[in-house]
Formats: sequence, structure tokens, C-alpha cells
Amino acid sequence: MLQEFNYLAPKSKNELYTLLKKHAGKSRILAGGTDILVELHNHWIAPANLIDIKKIKELQGITFNDSEGLSIGATTVCIDLINDKNVKQYYPLLADAAGRIGSPQLRNRATIAGNLCTASPCADMGCSLLALGASVELGSADGVRVIPLKDFFTGPKKTQIKPHEVLQRIIVPAEMAGAKYGMRKLKRIKGHDIALVSVAMARTKSVMRAGIGSCAPTPVVTGDLSPKATVATVISAVEKVVSPIDDVRASREYRLFMTRDFVEKIYPELF
Amino acid sequence: MKIKLTVNGKKYQRDASETKNLLHFLREDIGLTGTKEGCGAGECGACTVVMNGKTVNSCLILAVEADGCDIQTIEGEAKDGKLSKLQQAFHKNHAVQCGFCTPGMIMSTRALLQTTAKPSVEQIKEAIEGNFCRCTGYQQIIEAVQDASGQLKKKEGLKRA
Ligand SMILES: Cc1cc2nc3c(=O)[nH]c(=O)nc-3n(C[C@H](O)[C@H](O)[C@H](O)COP(=O)(O)OP(=O)(O)OC[C@H]3O[C@@H](n4cnc5c(N)ncnc54)[C@H](O)[C@@H]3O)c2cc1C
Ligand code: FES
Repeated sequence: MLQEFNYLAPKSKNELYTLLKKHAGKSRILAGGTDILVELHNHWIAPANLIDIKKIKELQGITFNDSEGLSIGATTVCIDLINDKNVKQYYPLLADAAGRIGSPQLRNRATIAGNLCTASPCADMGCSLLALGASVELGSADGVRVIPLKDFFTGPKKTQIKPHEVLQRIIVPAEMAGAKYGMRKLKRIKGHDIALVSVAMARTKSVMRAGIGSCAPTPVVTGDLSPKATVATVISAVEKVVSPIDDVRASREYRLFMTRDFVEKIYPELF
Repeated sequence: MKIKLTVNGKKYQRDASETKNLLHFLREDIGLTGTKEGCGAGECGACTVVMNGKTVNSCLILAVEADGCDIQTIEGEAKDGKLSKLQQAFHKNHAVQCGFCTPGMIMSTRALLQTTAKPSVEQIKEAIEGNFCRCTGYQQIIEAVQDASGQLKKKEGLKRA
């Protein structure tokens, strides 16, 4: 048995907004539950209310159009992204990244939005969506705001999201459709494990970016680099944004070494 | 909260505690104890069941989230006094030692076989990526799934009793 909480399952966005406002600070959103059930199991958190968002139609689905780009609804799970035909065709980096999360059981439940909201430094969707210049749409009874993903993460497990807000969807710009890409994730075992270092890169005719996971308090991204930037330029841009630490899983030096190594390996795949 | 769900083809209606996970609900409220708890936190896969055709860790789902769902567990395998072909293949190929991971292994490979009649070794390995076995070394499990899908050549290599 987990500790006591009320389970609430609103059916519309407005109903959700009202509940979030009413219980602000005393509730947590439940999406796939693959992070939050672990936290409840370990008694790390004790929310009075758990608000399940999976019954809200307005938060479901993946759509694509030429002007806005790709829209990933909050309840989209990894396997939906992996199987989506627009994702496969225009943003294959995202399917690649989602395929690296956990195990099949987790990919069948874990949402992309939940991965961002947990804001773990190693979030696999974090570094890939950063490389693609994604934004997140936050909604609440007070209105809707869209912020660039690079400003969303504020620290380990910390984001800009306010207690009465929900991440409604993720937007990946149309300009990044068809970007050349590459990703590497260093883990201890093949099979499910979180990253010691991960690097995701994307390049179009007008921009190149590298997103890095597990090498700073949050997933981080280089600035917008020229698509003609040399590998040395990319590495120095990466070194400016990472600040890896020693921990039980890897040393700072090993992480830095592997970050450089991954950039060198991915770089030729972008041309 | 009142929930309705189908488990192994049988319909159930229960008053489920909101704070109970699906794993404990299946074991304690439905009385199906075949599904095991290892870590209770998504790591080991012992609790794997098939929910609406997809494998999930039942320890990471609240029972109330399974309202209206179709669940398959290890108890749905054997029928009319006979083990399923997949269970027989696990038995024949020595894919079981202590047996604790087996219900989860069978559910992960059951879901694979439901979508892929003749999975490759790579596909089998991917399907059991989230299921830990600390006895067999996995090889026999892979062979069991190949056998169940009619792909195992006459035993080469190790002679087993
Ligand atoms: C064994 C194991 C292995 C894992 N491996 C990996 C891995 O390899 N790579 C990786 O990146 N992650 C991994 N994870 C972490 C996890 O699966 C992901 O972070 C997952 O994507 C979280 O999504 P969810 O839908 O399950 O989130 P939930 O657990 O439902 O929610 C996560 C958090 O985000 C909040 N939240 C969820 N959705 C919203 C929303 N729309 N708006 C506002 N807040 C929201 C919740 O309140 C909660 O705080 C692993 C987890 C486990 C248990
Ligand atoms: S008991 Fe659920 S994954 Fe270990």
C-alpha cells in the first residue's frame, strides 16, 4: 500500500485547471507514473492528491503541420512517438531518443512530457528535444504560456512550471523537420539503464545544435551554431555548457572525455 | 473506487483502494499470485503483465488506472489442464531455474509473439530487456522463445539432460 492520497481523474482541460488551482502545492500530476510511482513507493513524496491526466482528450495525440511543426500532446508515451509516421519521417531523432528510454514496459507507459517535468539531468528526451530547439506550452486557469525548452529546466528536478500549471504539449519547430541527426548514450549495460553521458545532435541548412545529458545539473544545449561549424567549434561550444561531476556512476573526467568522443562520432553523420 | 476490468478473459468488478498498485490488486484482491514483486520500482520486470496488448510493470500502475482495461497474466497461459506452448518451451529448454522471473518473462515474450510470429534473436532480446533473470544467463530463455515460435534447430552445442 502506498501512503494515502486522493485519486482524481479530470476529463477536460478546464476541469484540470480548476483542480490544479484548488489543490496547488498539495497535488501532483500523474501521467505514465514511471517516476511518480517510484517516488511514492520510496516515500519520497506525500501529495494529498494525484491528478491523472490520461483521460483528457485535449492533451492526447501527436500532430504535424508545415507552419508550426510537430505538436506532442502531454499524454503521448514513448512507444507512440516511436511509431508515429510524422516523427519517423521528419524528426527521427525523437524516435531514436524515445527508443533509448528504459525497457519496453517503461516505453509503453512513460510520457515525453513526464520525462521533461521530472527534469532529471539524464532525461533522454531532454537532450534530443533541446537539440531540435523545442518549446513547451504550459497551461493553467491563468492562461497559456510557451517557453523555450532551454529555459524550462532550472536545476536538477526543477523546472519553471508552477504548481497550478500543466505542461500541455511540446512543440518542435517546422524548420527542424528533416534535420540530420545523431545520438549516443553511454550506459553500463545494454538494456535498460540511465545515461552516464548522452549527446544528441541535429543539423539543418541553417543551424546546428548539440544537446547533452548527465553532464550538468540539467540537460543542456549549445547555442545555435552555424551548420558549417567545425567539429572543434562544436566541442568548444559543448565544453562551455557542460559541468560534469564525479558521482557513483562516473567521474568528471570520464564524462568529459566521452562527451567529446560522442560529438566527434556524431559530427560526420550530420553531413 | 469501483473499477471494472477483464483479467485473462474474465470480468471483475471490485472496490479498489486508490493507493494500491495493480500488482498488489491482482495478488490480493483478485487472488492471482502468479505475478511477482521483485523491486516494486520498475527495475526488474517480475511484475510484468500485458495491459491492452502492451507489456507494463504492474508495480508502477495504480489499480484504479486499470479501470476498463484488459489484463493478461501468467494465469491465463495454461488451459484445460495443459501448459501453453510457450510455457512448455520454457520447461523443455531449461529456461527456468528459481522461477521468480518466469511469469514476467513469459508475459513479455507472450506480448512479443502476439505481434511477431517469428521474432529474431534481436527482437527477443529487446522484448526481455526489462526482465531480469539472475539464474539462467538468458540464453535458454531466448532459445525457449525461438522454440515456441518454431524456429529452434535441433540442439547444437550444450547437451542438456
Ligand atoms: C527502471 C527505470 C528506468 C528508466 N530509464 C530511463 C531512461 O533510460 N531514460 C530516461 O530519460 N528516463 C528513464 N526513466 C525515467 C522515466 O521513465 C521517465 O522520466 C518518464 O518519461 C516519466 O514520464 P511518466 O509519464 O511516467 O511521468 P510520471 O511519473 O507520471 O510523472 C513524472 C513527473 O512529472 C510530473 N508531470 C507529468 N506529466 C506532467 C505534465 N503534463 N505537466 C506537469 N507535470 C507533469 C509529475 O507530477 C511527476 O512529478 C526510467 C525510470 C525507471 C523506473
Ligand atoms: S516489481 Fe515491478 S519492476 Fe520490479
